[in-house]
Amino acid sequence: MKPWHFEHVAEGLAVEEEALSEGVSTVFTWTAHHSAIVVPRAWTRRKAIADAVFACANSGWPVLTRASGGGAVPQGAETVNLAIIAPASSGLTLEAGYELICGAIHEALRRFDIASETGAVPGALCDGMWNVTVGGRKLAGTAQRRRAALFGPVALIHAAIFTNELPESLWPVLTGLHEAAGQPIEPNPAAHIHLGELLPSAAARPMFAGALVRAAEERLKPWRGTAERAA
Amino acid sequence: MATEIRIPDDLWDGDEEAVITAWLASDGATVKEGALIAEIMTAKVQYEINAPASGTLAIVKEQDGVASKGEVIGQIS
Repeated sequence: MKPWHFEHVAEGLAVEEEALSEGVSTVFTWTAHHSAIVVPRAWTRRKAIADAVFACANSGWPVLTRASGGGAVPQGAETVNLAIIAPASSGLTLEAGYELICGAIHEALRRFDIASETGAVPGALCDGMWNVTVGGRKLAGTAQRRRAALFGPVALIHAAIFTNELPESLWPVLTGLHEAAGQPIEPNPAAHIHLGELLPSAAARPMFAGALVRAAEERLKPWRGTAERAA
Repeated sequence: MATEIRIPDDLWDGDEEAVITAWLASDGATVKEGALIAEIMTAKVQYEINAPASGTLAIVKEQDGVASKGEVIGQIS
């Protein structure tokens, strides 16, 4: 499947939502032209966050919600999203879902001779056990959403990879947003590594996105539902 | 007889707990089987819980409460 390039982040989130509702196994990548910060939907139920959301919008970073786990993630032209829709009725535990997506990212990086690991990176945005790291710095963050669909439980397993350095002015915006959400952080920009550092040639990045999709599709095959395989 | 609403015990392998991030139906509300009634969060995963039966919802574990795998968070009678 070709990568999606949307005008707005909301369109990418909507395509993920639609794919999850359909519940059919698929893999795709997407980026968006305009920037936004995406936060878990649960954050916006906190009354204290309204002022911080307003401040973000005034800084050029409107806040959107995603019904998924994790923290605040800057989105836009410099963030590649990998989305995997997988049937979750066949023993795809949360750990298996994370192994699937992290394994696909590791494999895509290996094709460019880049060694990577999985683990937490203190000081990174949206930190978790299932980051993909290079040289101890966070390259990709992952999260999941599980829900019931027509053919049974379905998982959206997704990752965000920055392709360039985040603007310096964004860090205080993100810090304020986390505080308002009751999730204070002390972000360390140096905890992140972006794809541009690893693949300086702009021509290599579409190739990397293609490698990501192929690696994810291969790893998704064993989890595809019986009905899907027969179709 | 009441039908229990449980955190699935086979969703993840570890001992991590989940947080109930939202009840989407009120205590005492009438719910239909299959309706989305709650969201939980664990290990950067949002998991949606659907009503296992039709009837009246009794919330056992409140929003923002922490629950273990297999724990009963509500009942429908």
